[in-house]
Order: sequence, then structure tokens, then C-alpha cells
Amino acid sequence: MQLADVFVEMADTLVDDFDVIDFLHVLAERCVQLLGVSAAGLLLTDQQGALQVVAASSERTRLLELFQLQTDQGPCVDCFRTGQPVSVTDLPAAGRWPRFTAAAAEVGFAAVHALPMRLRDEVIGALNLFDTDPGPVDEGRLRIGQALADVATIGLLQQRAIHRRDVLTEQLQTALNSRVLIEQAKGVLAERLQVDLADAFALLRSGARSHNRRLSDLARAIVDGTEQLPPAAAVSRPT
Amino acid sequence: MRLWALVVAHADGGPVAVEHVGSAVISAAGVDAAAVAVVLDASPRETVYASDRVAVELEELTLTLGEGPGVDALADGPALVADLTAGEYQTRWPVFAPAAANAGVRAVFALPLRIGAIRLGVLALYRAEPGGLDPEQLSDALILADTMGALLLDEAGHDPSDRPRPDGSWLEHVGAQHPAVHQATGMVIVQLGVTAAVALIRLRAYAYAHDRRLREVAADVVARRLRFDPDPDGDDNDTR
Repeated sequence: MQLADVFVEMADTLVDDFDVIDFLHVLAERCVQLLGVSAAGLLLTDQQGALQVVAASSERTRLLELFQLQTDQGPCVDCFRTGQPVSVTDLPAAGRWPRFTAAAAEVGFAAVHALPMRLRDEVIGALNLFDTDPGPVDEGRLRIGQALADVATIGLLQQRAIHRRDVLTEQLQTALNSRVLIEQAKGVLAERLQVDLADAFALLRSGARSHNRRLSDLARAIVDGTEQLPPAAAVSRPT
Repeated sequence: MRLWALVVAHADGGPVAVEHVGSAVISAAGVDAAAVAVVLDASPRETVYASDRVAVELEELTLTLGEGPGVDALADGPALVADLTAGEYQTRWPVFAPAAANAGVRAVFALPLRIGAIRLGVLALYRAEPGGLDPEQLSDALILADTMGALLLDEAGHDPSDRPRPDGSWLEHVGAQHPAVHQATGMVIVQLGVTAAVALIRLRAYAYAHDRRLREVAADVVARRLRFDPDPDGDDNDTR
């Protein structure tokens, strides 16, 4: 996929009544395709100033990011705190964040690049790129990565003009609550269909796609029990 | 921890109740009055806390008119209104806005008490002076709204004498930041055939009864090491 195609896709999404979590997931996946990294994840700050994982290109990225949040150390946390990009081309050689490095090695990641999501002087989260092979990502790609992080920020702010800090807080709160909603729906599907959580999420997304529904609307209907996932979606399992 | 100390101070050594969190949020957010309306599982809106006469009056207005920030917050997320007399709000809530201003309220901050698909109710903050909340006041109010939500869940699930004690250990059960807690909620919905609210209440009650952390119990459910059975003889009390 070409860079231009991705920006067209994102711009198209932004004019519709789109689902922010789904948008961020697509963005994480496009980062992987465009930047040639192994995985990507997005963290956002909540009202308590803690970081939450809102989207990731794969479940193992999610687990690693969670680990990072729980241990409160790692390049993404540093990036969020300082508002500066953090590039670690070889985690073991860097010798910082020993616990994070060990956890990353366990899921096969050797390099991490963390890019801040910034709105003027405020850092609202970070885009993290993970690589299985050590080595630098070239400067041009990191610039594209930063542009995608900026697109993610714009997506979060949706179509509303953010001239007040409290509107930003509202949007972040709503995005994080959608994330909770989706986790609940994943649990319902995992139990009902006896699949694992990653498959449950894939089914939820493909169900939303094929019926042109917003991800969080479908998730709410599934949790409320007003809707079952259509059996058709349960058969065609995406990768 | 600073906010928790504030809540505990208001509880004055006793079990923490909704009114203590209410008093704490009034002082932390710098407002004059607060109210909590519960809207659990499509039951009618019910005011469970109002700090003073103005708060009572505003809750009655919201209930009677079926409009206002307290209604919108439930559907759309936080409704932060720095000045009700501004044109946009007079248009948005043509009856509520002038009536509230008439009752002496200029600023309203309505925060939804929600956990994903679970809508518990709304925490409404009222102030006579117009103006927004500063970022720290808003952040404190949102944190205390989470605390309020957790407390409402516990009151729905527990004997009132079983309320959280002010030793801070209860904080472990608040917030529920871990995805596993929400995933487990979804699984328990299916296992017990209950609503999301009841599923979360059951998880919390189980953790409480077994003196375990909510997130550990949730991790067991997600790993399918622990199941909730709709058996009435189960060891956690029926909460319906």
C-alpha cells in the first residue's frame, strides 16, 4: 500500500461518522504495512494521567504495551513523559529498561521506536513501532510515522474544533470508554463462540465492516444482548 | 491518594458512602452543589444523592423535562457547560436552561458514570458562578466520578454494612483499568445470562468475598480457570 493511498483512506474516514477505535486500529495496521515494522501500537493518556493501550496491530503488541504500563518503564513511557521521540535500535544493547527488554524479547521484539502524539504543547499519547530485527529505521520512514501519529491525533479530535482543553478531555474519555466497551464485547464473543480474545476482536471488526456498522455501536449491541454477531461473520475469519 | 484522603476525611472514619464522595467532589471541583442520578438497566432515573435544595431542584427539572446536560451526558459523554445563559445552550435545552438559571445555577458539569456498555447514571455538579473547570478540577471530578461509579456498583451488590472501609485497600477495586476486567465481564455476561452491570457486580463481589484483587479474579476468568455458574448454591451471593 502506498503512502498516498493511506492518507486518502484516513481522510475518507475522517469525513464520515467514524468509530475512533476502529480508525486507530486501521492506522496501527497501516503503520506496519507502510513503515516495514513488525508491529505498531497506540497509547493514550486517561484523566488520571495514566497511559492506556487503545489500539495495536497485533495481540502480542498489546500485551507488551500493557506490560510496559504495568511496570511503568520503557521507551513508550519515556516518549510520553518527555514528548520527544525515543528510538531504540537494539534493546538489549541499549541496556535501559531491563524488565521491558526481557518482556519484549519474549514476544520477539528487538527494536522500538516511540513517537509522541502531540496537540500543540500537550502530549496525549504515543505511537509505538516494534521490530523483530535490531537496526535503525531510516529518517524518512520515521517522519512518515510521525505524520501518521499526527493523523491519529486529528482522528481523536474528530471534526470538532479543539480550542478548549475540556473538549480534549471529553474526547479522550469517550475514546477510552469505547475501548472498555470493545473489551466487554470481546469477552462476550470469546465465551459465546469459544474463541480466543484476538479472534473475538477480529470477528467483531469483520462483523462491523460487513454490515457497515460502527465498531463501538456493534460492540454495545453485543454486550447489551440486543444483537448477536451474524453467523456469516463468524465463518469468514480474517487473518 | 490525595483525593482518597479527601473522601475519607468526609466519611469521618465510617464506611464510605455516596454522600462522602459527593462532598469530596464539591470541594475538589470548586462547585456549590452536586447530585447523583442512577439509571441502571433502563429503570427510571432515580436521584440517590443531592447535596442541597438547589441540587434537588435541578435533578427534578432534569427528570421532569427529560432534557438538560444530565440527560445528554448519559448518551454522549461529559457535558461541560460554563454558562447556561449562552445562546447555544438556550437552544439545546430550551426549557431546562432558563429554568436552571432561574434557580440560580449558571454552570453545570454532568459526568456520565459508565464502564463501557454499563451506564450507571450521572454525576452532576452545579455552580452559581459561570465559568469552566480548570484542568485539575476536571481531572479530579472525573476520578471521583469513577469512584462514585464503583461505589454504586458495590451498593447494588452488597449488604450496606459491607461497604468499603476507609483504609485505601478498596482503591484496588476502583478504576478497573485492566482490560481483563472488562473481558471477564463480557464472559460472565454469557456464563450467567445477566446484564453487563450484574456481571461486573458479581466479579467484584467474588473478589471481595475471596479477599482477592479484582484483576486477578478477572485474569482467572479470561484464562478459563474460573467460571461463574448460574447455580443458586454458588458461593457468591445472588445480586439480582
